[in-house]
Amino acid sequence: MIWLLVIILPLLAALLTAFLPAGSRNAPTIFIFASLPAIWTGLVEVPEISLDWFILGTHFSLDTPRRIILLLTGILWASSGFFAGLYLKEDARNSSFYFYFGTAMAGNFGLLIAADAASFYTFFALMTFASYGLVIHSQTHSARQAAKVYLVMSIIGELFIISALFLAVQSAGSMLLADIPPALASASNGPFIFLLGLIGFGVKVGAIPLYFWLPLAHPAAPVPASAVLSGAMIKAGLVGWMHFTPVGLVTWPSFSLLIVSLGFTAALGAVIIGLLQVDPKTNLAYSSISQMGLMTAFLGLGLYGGFPAGIILPAIALYGFNHGTAKALLFLGTALPAKVGGYWRILMWLGLGLGVLAIAGGPLTGGLWTKYLLKTFLGKTNLPGIDFFSYLLSLSAITTTLLLSRFLHLLGQVEPPKENKIPSFILPWIFLLFAGGWWTMSPTLLSSELMSLIIGEESMLSFFWNPITIWTALWPILLTAGGLVVIFTLKFSFLNRWPQEKPQIPAGDFLYILLWLWRKIEKPFQKAMASLQSLMQSRQSAEKIINKFIDNKKTIQISSSAEALLRRWEVVGISFFIFFLTLFLFLR
Amino acid sequence: MEMNSLLLLLILISSLIPGIVILLLEEKQVLARNFLNLFGAIAKVVLVAWVFAGYLRGESYTFIFGLAPDLTFALHIDQLGLLFATLSSVLWLVTTIYAIGYLKGGKHQRRFFAFFSLCVTSSTGIALSGNVLTFFVFYEFLTLSTYPLVVHRGDDKAVEAGRTYLWYTIGGGTVLFLGVVGLFVLAGPIYFGQTEIIASLAPENGLQLTIVFFLMLSGLAVKAAIFPLHGWLPISMVAPAPVSALLHAVAVVKAGAFGIIRLVYDIYGVQTSEQMNLLTPLAIFAGFTIIYGSVKAFYQDDFKKRLAYSTISQLSYIALGVAITGVLSTTGAIVHLVHQGIMKITMFFAAGNVAETYGYYRISQLNGIGRRMPITMVAFTIAAFGMIGLPPVAGFVSKWYLGLGAVEAETYWVVLVLLASSALNAAYFLPIVYRAWFCEPEPSTIQPRCSGRWETEALLLIPVLLTGLFSLAAGLFAASTNSPLYFAREIADRFYLHLP
Repeated sequence: MIWLLVIILPLLAALLTAFLPAGSRNAPTIFIFASLPAIWTGLVEVPEISLDWFILGTHFSLDTPRRIILLLTGILWASSGFFAGLYLKEDARNSSFYFYFGTAMAGNFGLLIAADAASFYTFFALMTFASYGLVIHSQTHSARQAAKVYLVMSIIGELFIISALFLAVQSAGSMLLADIPPALASASNGPFIFLLGLIGFGVKVGAIPLYFWLPLAHPAAPVPASAVLSGAMIKAGLVGWMHFTPVGLVTWPSFSLLIVSLGFTAALGAVIIGLLQVDPKTNLAYSSISQMGLMTAFLGLGLYGGFPAGIILPAIALYGFNHGTAKALLFLGTALPAKVGGYWRILMWLGLGLGVLAIAGGPLTGGLWTKYLLKTFLGKTNLPGIDFFSYLLSLSAITTTLLLSRFLHLLGQVEPPKENKIPSFILPWIFLLFAGGWWTMSPTLLSSELMSLIIGEESMLSFFWNPITIWTALWPILLTAGGLVVIFTLKFSFLNRWPQEKPQIPAGDFLYILLWLWRKIEKPFQKAMASLQSLMQSRQSAEKIINKFIDNKKTIQISSSAEALLRRWEVVGISFFIFFLTLFLFLR
Repeated sequence: MEMNSLLLLLILISSLIPGIVILLLEEKQVLARNFLNLFGAIAKVVLVAWVFAGYLRGESYTFIFGLAPDLTFALHIDQLGLLFATLSSVLWLVTTIYAIGYLKGGKHQRRFFAFFSLCVTSSTGIALSGNVLTFFVFYEFLTLSTYPLVVHRGDDKAVEAGRTYLWYTIGGGTVLFLGVVGLFVLAGPIYFGQTEIIASLAPENGLQLTIVFFLMLSGLAVKAAIFPLHGWLPISMVAPAPVSALLHAVAVVKAGAFGIIRLVYDIYGVQTSEQMNLLTPLAIFAGFTIIYGSVKAFYQDDFKKRLAYSTISQLSYIALGVAITGVLSTTGAIVHLVHQGIMKITMFFAAGNVAETYGYYRISQLNGIGRRMPITMVAFTIAAFGMIGLPPVAGFVSKWYLGLGAVEAETYWVVLVLLASSALNAAYFLPIVYRAWFCEPEPSTIQPRCSGRWETEALLLIPVLLTGLFSLAAGLFAASTNSPLYFAREIADRFYLHLP
């Protein structure tokens, strides 16, 4: 029953909040309640069930990685829903926002608990299309553009996903998602199916080269929607990948190398473009691409063989958990600087700083431990060039710190309010910060056996308080911070030339290259389409030939005289009779 | 006469008698007419449900009347026919309600409702017919009884459309007739399901049987609107909305598709058609029609025209599913017969509601219509998502089975066709959804024509709501034992029963 509540409550919430009278204060409570079953199933083991009558036969169950992501998703939707109810109180169209918010929530929860292909796809589509309403909510020109790009990319993604599912279900001979990875490992077209899934879910993850909608759409949505888009929904793509990746069952060196390289390219490349942005939310969106790149890389590592899926996937999910909570904290935080005054600003900056540290992998945060967990895999594989990738991982700590320092810098430029006051929506933000008790100690979400399997002999406690671990995490951050301090105190001249008003590279960078290419080929393409169209309309087309015959003068003459009769419906009635009579006689 | 045979006749009579009586009524006798219509429609639904329940209990229903030696008028119930009969009778009831609301105060209602009832009689007749001859009789009866509905408005455009309609369908009927006669000459009388007759003839009369097959197929393809025989469908959109909804989304076009299913599975049989390689041309034409219809739909601004081209495209899903050998794709084809019907009728109802209430006929006028007519547009949106193939709407289920079937048969180009069609469906349906929900309405002085409590007349609103809910429920509960999918699966299983 609780499985159904996970989905039904958000849907109910969507309907309830959509019909709330204007000025009602119930939306926050409704959204919190709606996410409670999801959080509950994330925490407590619930026996799996199958519903034979639902869609094409539905199964609900959870495994460790999805349980971690579900918990994250539940926490984020609860706090963002709480936030949205307060933040959008005055918004004229808030009821439509709540509707799409609740629906996307149902989809997001549903896809995590679904264990069969059809309902997984159902909920994935529900989430994707409902969040279109979130992206376009402000209805400004830029939001419409972003929503358009989002929709087109999502549909392309859906098409790849459905074709991957067709092939995978057919070769697995089962609707269960758990049967897909073994089937891919043994089927001859397994790599091809995997590639389809990689592209399909890559859109949602924001993988290179499919990411360009993300820095447009995530910031275009209102603050609470950005938080769930970048914190929770992006992980849905990751979960999709996990379903389609035969980790531990195959050795696909070229795929492995390709995905690891793409992942690290995203991790480092997104930082460079993100640094040149002037909107804090866009900056965060690029940071999401960069962080997802790291998760991509480790998933790719799993394809090289050597690690069972039961070990590496929970570790990646855990990294996602940490990133999700921290990223949502930062996204929600972008609404604060203009509203929070007085001493509360200290708390605000502390919280934001903590979020930044958590993403950059600072000491004593979940970021450090989850990254360290992943790092242990680097030491155990013999993928070619792995040393180089280890360096890149350390480098990514530096670049992440840089990128998020820029984020803090951008927020610092926001004019603080004159009076000493706080907005009501700081409450959910603080809630998320304290739910940060989770993300600082997030490895505790894994069972201790699993932990010792991943990190070797060490016990949990020695892992947490190991000075060497802390130092390896600390030096990149200290180095970057030190560097920044030097640069800012010496006032290097390039600082003045840093983009202030307009980003040097527009958000959605790659899209503009595509659009440029499109403009190059647009004219010939349209010409071809026009000629195709005229071909269809030409005299030679079948439709025309038949119509021409019908429009022929003689035919018209004959038929119109016949028609004069037929137009009188009485005649039609008689002709029925005659028709049957003839038929009868003829057949006799 | 036996009770069970009588029931079959009653199903036909339940719409035939009201049709005839309505002709005898005066135009002014609105109440009596509406009562007759609804009585007939409800009676038909009840009777079909009764027969359905009986069939599930294991009763058999057959009515045979000898016209001449070897020529019989035969009605027989099997699952496929029952599915189609249920579809047409339920949708007839819904459409009758809609038509009463839509035509209120219009002219020539007597004629309209009389022929409307005759149409439904013939489409149920098609569903219930037990042999080729009976099928053919009702098939032609349908052609003729639809004509007065197409020309209902009576203006030049309508008359011209009627002319085109007749040319296509009579032409198709003639070709079908040749095929039927050829079949009779070759194989004698064939009852549906006697596939062994053709199978035994196949080794010696291969060429003749091939010719007969394609004659019949091309006759049926006219109504199923397979390229290049689809031209009548968009032109017939001049008919009033209920006609477009029931006849051009369900009854007429489905008669063609249903005929193709009968031809392949119940006359020739899967094995024979497969061995004689009859299905590949059908697959190619159907695949091309799917893409062609979608591309054409994309360029239409007229709301109903866009729906019409979309119908052309979606109908060929059925033909395509039939043309691919395999239980899964057959299931997809049969279930799409139902699913396409309920989804497309929803869309036509919605288009009719918008036109009737605000006088909008073009898609470019639909900005912000969602806020003015929320229930109508919610139903439309559900149906549009279904057409694209998005879960959990009915269309997803069809597409899922067709896609799996194509993979099973290793005809990968079909998967590509399905994907391209999904993309195109999205490209021409989502703009409507976008305009309806996310664009600000242009400030205009157009006032809704009805000033009731709801967004439009209740009689127009209830049908669209019902069929919208059907479309959602058929997908949401597809795996349950009462869904169209369940029956489609049983039917398909039976077709492949004799295969090794």
